[in-house]
Amino acid sequence: MTTAGVTGEVKRPVRPRRRARFFFVASAVAGFTVFAADQVGFTFSTFWEIWTNPLWEKFWPVPWDWVLDEGNVLGPLVETFQIAIVATIIGCGLALPISFAMSRLTTPNRVVYYASKAVMNVVRAVPDLFWAKLLVTAIGIGAFAGSWALSVFSLAVMVKLFSETIDAADDRPLEAARAAGGRHAPAVTTGVLPTVFPAYVAYALYVFELNIRASLVLGLVGAGGVGRVVETQRQFFRFDRILGMLLIIFAVVVAIEQISVAIRKRLV
Amino acid sequence: MSAPALDRPTTRPSRPNHKIQRFATVLLFGVALGWSITGLDITLSRLASAPSDAWGVFSLMFPPDFATEFERGVLGKVFESVYIAWIGTTIAAVLSLPLAFLAATNVAPMWIRVPTRQLFNAIRAVPELIVAVVLLGVTGLGPWAGALAIGLHSVGTLGKLSTEAIESIDAGPLEAVEACGGRWASGMRWGVLPQVLPTITSYWLFRFEINVRASAVLGMIGAGGVGAELVALLNFRDFDGVGAVLIVTVVVVVIIDTVSAGVRRRIIAGTTPDRRGAATIDDLLGTSLNR
Repeated sequence: MTTAGVTGEVKRPVRPRRRARFFFVASAVAGFTVFAADQVGFTFSTFWEIWTNPLWEKFWPVPWDWVLDEGNVLGPLVETFQIAIVATIIGCGLALPISFAMSRLTTPNRVVYYASKAVMNVVRAVPDLFWAKLLVTAIGIGAFAGSWALSVFSLAVMVKLFSETIDAADDRPLEAARAAGGRHAPAVTTGVLPTVFPAYVAYALYVFELNIRASLVLGLVGAGGVGRVVETQRQFFRFDRILGMLLIIFAVVVAIEQISVAIRKRLV
Repeated sequence: MSAPALDRPTTRPSRPNHKIQRFATVLLFGVALGWSITGLDITLSRLASAPSDAWGVFSLMFPPDFATEFERGVLGKVFESVYIAWIGTTIAAVLSLPLAFLAATNVAPMWIRVPTRQLFNAIRAVPELIVAVVLLGVTGLGPWAGALAIGLHSVGTLGKLSTEAIESIDAGPLEAVEACGGRWASGMRWGVLPQVLPTITSYWLFRFEINVRASAVLGMIGAGGVGAELVALLNFRDFDGVGAVLIVTVVVVVIIDTVSAGVRRRIIAGTTPDRRGAATIDDLLGTSLNR
């Protein structure tokens, strides 16, 4: 037999043609973008005006002796960390049992499954600072309300991440535990929990990072932490102090993130 | 043939001993929690009264006063938040896509890759509310400052995710373009972009969902949208109105999440005509597996 020779002309394959639906969707998206841009007052000149704004001069020089004075920035920054720690421990602690109820693999029954999913979706649909503002109104200004708000927020994020991990877990240990006659709770704690626990710890660290960032801004609505200082200085137009604070916050956040990422890499 | 006889007694394997590690972990968490709680001035009496205080306020929100709120134009405010989020996401998408090509290990040289990645990290470290606080000082109050703040902040996360998408491509098409003598830009356009665009588009949509919440929050510090309305009502202790605003916000956010999740599923996984209804319910409840 001969090799299959190419007979006749080699034709270039036909380029796939775009369907009418593509143009419809594209023009709808473009139209919505233009409309939305008009609604928010989009102007290209802003990009230029921002750079030439005389206000930037107010950002310099940074008053380091004010920034590094213990009561001004470092005290509230410590409070910020305390909020994040409390919120992470409470939120992630509560998330452990709820996540198991929210996974197809380990849920006790369908009613609990759909009910917990629906409630957590609504909780997650309320933005984090709305929770903070509501709780500040309900239980008073300060870090206490902030810790509550962030706990709710961490719970909502954690159950979403962790229940999806449980969904994807190996179901054979669970089956073995059930076949050996285990009831629901022991079967789950011995069959599934050990396989997903490293992921749980990794997510908890991730939520801690999120909480550190979220707790920085809690103070803007009166819920304690370093955001309160940012808000006060903004009202006095002391942008030089704000810049100094931002530099410190930035350094600390990056440092924590590096540590957390390093630990997470070893875990998973 | 019979089963092979065991020549040694079967013993249960001994349980691994983690006592010291467990003790250390519990101690660490205990100390951290204790230190934080004392620092935050959390006392037992406050802890005991907080749930009832919170419940008291939440029960005041019912029945929510929809009529007054719709008259005050709450829907317009919620939509303004959505517009802010959309424009912010568009700005971030336009800026982050080219930058992602400069940050990916497989397509960019070292000298441009490292600074671009550091830029993404730096942007991600500053929360959008802080960006907005600074921008509001420069541009003045209004939704445009909010959109800009969201756009600048989202460049960090979108850039990082897009970079990772580009790094995980199949190298074949890119090599084919190079073998045909294509330039770097041609390789990106025909070898990389068609592979990553579906994934990156779904990241954009996902970021839009997050940004809707973020822009609602930005309103609280004067950047336009529903946040300003919520703060005003809370300051006047108009809890019926607060209830209405919250419910309208949640409904709009859930609708956007559902539609966006559906579109993302369609982009990544394609249609499954027989299960379309069930999949939409999954999107609504967040129960679909490939979100």
